[in-house]
Amino acid sequence: MSPSNATALLVWILALAATPLLGDNYVVKIATFVAFYAALALSWNFIGGMAGYPSFATAAFVGLGSYAGALVQNAGAPLAVGWLAGALASGLAAVALGAVVLRLRGHYFAIGSIALVEVLSLTASWWSGLTGGGEGLNVAFLPGGPDTIARVFLYVMLAIAILALGTTVVVMRGRLGFALRCISQNEDAAEMVGIPTTRCKIIAFVLSAIPCGAAGAAYASWVAYIAPADAFSILLTVKVPVMVMLGGAGTLIGPVLGATALVLLEETVWARFLDLHQAILGGVIVALIFFLPGGLVGLARRGRST
Amino acid sequence: MDAALLVQVVLNGILLGALYACIAAGFSLVWGVLNVINMLHGSLIILAGYLACSLWTEWQVHPLAAMLPVGLLLFLAGTALQVLLINRVVDRPVLTTLTLTFGLDMVLYNAMNAAFEATPRRVTLELGRLTLGEVVLPWDRIVAMLLALALTGLLYGVLRASRLGRAIVAVRMDREAASLMGIRVARIYALTFGLGAFMAGVCGALLAVVYPITTNATGQLLGKAFIVCVVGGLGTVPGALAGGLALGVTESLGGHFLGPQAAALLGFGLMLVLLVVRPTGLLGRKGYE
Amino acid sequence: MSISLWFQRASVLTALVIAFAAAPAQATAETLRIGAPLALTGGLADEGRKQQVAYDMWLRRVNAAGGVQVGDRKLKVELITYDYQTNEQRASQIAEKLITQDRVDVLTAPFGSGHTKVVAGVAERYGVPVVASVASSESVFNQGYRYLFGTLAPNAGLTDALVAVVKAQLPGVRRVAVLGREDVFPKSIAASMTDAAKRAGLELVYDALYPVNTMDFSSPLSKMRAAKPDWIFVSGYTKDLVLARKQMADLGVSAPVITMITGPAYREFAESLGPLAENVTSATWWAPALTFRSDDVFGSTQGFVQDFQARKEKGEPDYVHAAAAAALVAVQAAVTRAGSLDKAKVRAALASLKLDTFYGPIEFGANGMNAARSLPIVQIQGGKVVVLSPEPMRQGRLLPVR
Repeated sequence: MSPSNATALLVWILALAATPLLGDNYVVKIATFVAFYAALALSWNFIGGMAGYPSFATAAFVGLGSYAGALVQNAGAPLAVGWLAGALASGLAAVALGAVVLRLRGHYFAIGSIALVEVLSLTASWWSGLTGGGEGLNVAFLPGGPDTIARVFLYVMLAIAILALGTTVVVMRGRLGFALRCISQNEDAAEMVGIPTTRCKIIAFVLSAIPCGAAGAAYASWVAYIAPADAFSILLTVKVPVMVMLGGAGTLIGPVLGATALVLLEETVWARFLDLHQAILGGVIVALIFFLPGGLVGLARRGRST
Repeated sequence: MDAALLVQVVLNGILLGALYACIAAGFSLVWGVLNVINMLHGSLIILAGYLACSLWTEWQVHPLAAMLPVGLLLFLAGTALQVLLINRVVDRPVLTTLTLTFGLDMVLYNAMNAAFEATPRRVTLELGRLTLGEVVLPWDRIVAMLLALALTGLLYGVLRASRLGRAIVAVRMDREAASLMGIRVARIYALTFGLGAFMAGVCGALLAVVYPITTNATGQLLGKAFIVCVVGGLGTVPGALAGGLALGVTESLGGHFLGPQAAALLGFGLMLVLLVVRPTGLLGRKGYE
Repeated sequence: MSISLWFQRASVLTALVIAFAAAPAQATAETLRIGAPLALTGGLADEGRKQQVAYDMWLRRVNAAGGVQVGDRKLKVELITYDYQTNEQRASQIAEKLITQDRVDVLTAPFGSGHTKVVAGVAERYGVPVVASVASSESVFNQGYRYLFGTLAPNAGLTDALVAVVKAQLPGVRRVAVLGREDVFPKSIAASMTDAAKRAGLELVYDALYPVNTMDFSSPLSKMRAAKPDWIFVSGYTKDLVLARKQMADLGVSAPVITMITGPAYREFAESLGPLAENVTSATWWAPALTFRSDDVFGSTQGFVQDFQARKEKGEPDYVHAAAAAALVAVQAAVTRAGSLDKAKVRAALASLKLDTFYGPIEFGANGMNAARSLPIVQIQGGKVVVLSPEPMRQGRLLPVR
């Protein structure tokens, strides 16, 4: 990791961690969402950025983590166990579902991954005996004043993001990262050179699922109630790749940058442009595609070369 | 369970399936030829629906008469959109094109919500029912099905018989070769996208008779289009028909035997199964991923 | 890239974060601040706008009267609204903003049941009372939140009253078919109905739930027809009900009694369906034809209806408008009773409130829901909503569907 990247990330972490001292709980909540989305974006980066497989399954893993975490927590387990359960459930699901959808490429993979979100949402809705169906699932309300809870969840989400970040560093430096980059450039050639493409893809998919599962479970504990429509949100599943693209796919800080930028952008925009916020978000996406093909990181790189 | 009910269920599925085929035909064409997933498709159908409803309430224009002007309007809009924006990213990876059309869809969706509210609207044509013994079929659905079949048939004819159509098919099969043959690929892309939008337009006008039109439905329509394309095969009209009918009948039978919630799940299940077993779809051909 | 450039970027990011930390300075004149997260865009926008209209109606009346009586002062009311975009995460953020930055004294709840629970979760932690106006399912109030209240009476009141009316006026009706949407309220009311039907000795011949994004009802309706019901009961949102009623006509599915919840209560239902809406029954929490008289800012049901029509809104108000305004009426009464803006005292006042309003009686029970009571049963007759029950306000008798 370059020194400038390391510094930037350190500043980011410290800035988020310091929000309880710098602002009120609303600011802390925004910071928590920044960390939440950064974790999701970093995890997407494994399968979408490094391996080049455009996954829209993020919401599937977040939702699955939410339900797994909620059910385990409701069964009496302590919080952290619930969150681990969420991470585990999503990881295992990624192995099983990956075997199915990773055989597909390009558009078909994208469609297959979105289908996963819908299928899980419908299943959660149908299996009401377990999940409460459309009525949703209550999660035990955590004792503690608003300040405490705000801090706890800020640090939990931040921790998940940092873990995802650490994993990214390790992977990018190692053989897996190299293999994924080869797969992204030309999968058949990579196969021919002896790279175990199927295994690498599945690992990438699992890595993309685990932080989502943990974040989803933590979210469920935080909000104390989950229901299928919001747990498996199509909007979330599309926003996350957009964040990574905004920041710079396949890079280390791209996902962090993109997630932060988009969350802050949304906060500033919605308050001011009540009726048009969706169009503005759409416009941002369109502008992004045309003017920032390499994301913000790509822009910085172009700046460097001039 | 009695035979009449089973016949009813299957016929319901076929009527529904024809509509699904119509919904998906334009989408499938664009995906197959341009290799672009047009996330705007659902919103375009609803836009056409709103226009048809407005023409009906303001000037009593019959939806069948509205189909053509609405379709043409959308054709022009679609072509313009493709030429100005989408053409620039046609060669880029899946994620880029899909995200671009998703972003454009958000803009369109917001605009529609602002212009028309989400209150459901429909064109009320009381056409009555056809009763064959114990089986009851609504006339407006039958008419819609026949029209849907006619439209898809027309599209098929255009693709097969006209010069433009053959050029589109040529581009779909092999872009480089088509270009070498003197076909202006960029123009074909624009016209194909426009044609896809036209199909969305006539489909929307048709749907306004059968369903309440509301912006909430855009995602559902797009979802059905996806499934139909995957199940039936990309870029071909027979594919859209096969996929539509397969989906319609599966949902209808599944819903009957397992309950309505299962029906939706089965639709996606069908799609996933096909993705794994035969990704090119029931009638699709390899090479169009 | 040089380190300095990166530091610049990082500082910008940090600065943005800190910019949010600088909360706007609060107005110093004491007012009653009410926070209202509203769905002004997104899937529930139509309903959100109704709440907005209703809140504004109350606000104008109150401020015209000089404000709300708190102790020996009259405080003006300030209503702070934000659009939560029918998005759960945004709802939770807005609730936090309203409480920490805008320093509201009381919150109203958004339209969606799930979103209400999320907002209530935030408010409970801070001890800020939340009055919901469109949540009637027990499941919304089942988390033990002490600061959550709701003006809608429980669902069972709707179905019990419905069954009573049908049994009394069309005693031949025996076979009931229930089709509900798999969503908090519609599912709950469908379950209420099956329960009420069974208790009344009716025969349940069809009972199913349809998923949220259903585009077509042919399959469940065909099956329902084969079960030959006398009474068809469907729950869902307006667009579902419009589609279902239309497809019922398409497929020749009919019965002497067709009930839809909450469709007929909304003007949009009858407008969209035209003649097909005729003789559809429903139960509602309030109808404009009711005749309550009260001490609140509206004075009577008629007063509220007239205010609404004076605003040049289309048609008449429905129960969403009424329940929303009633929520603020309850807040006003509680604040006056408590004699202060202290949230714990206001909460206690709400919990012990017993009030007659233009909307009907308000008395919050242990779980925060308005007390159960027999609710109005209505039917569309001649294109208009006619009240069938309760007896003092009855305008017509139950007619079988032609």
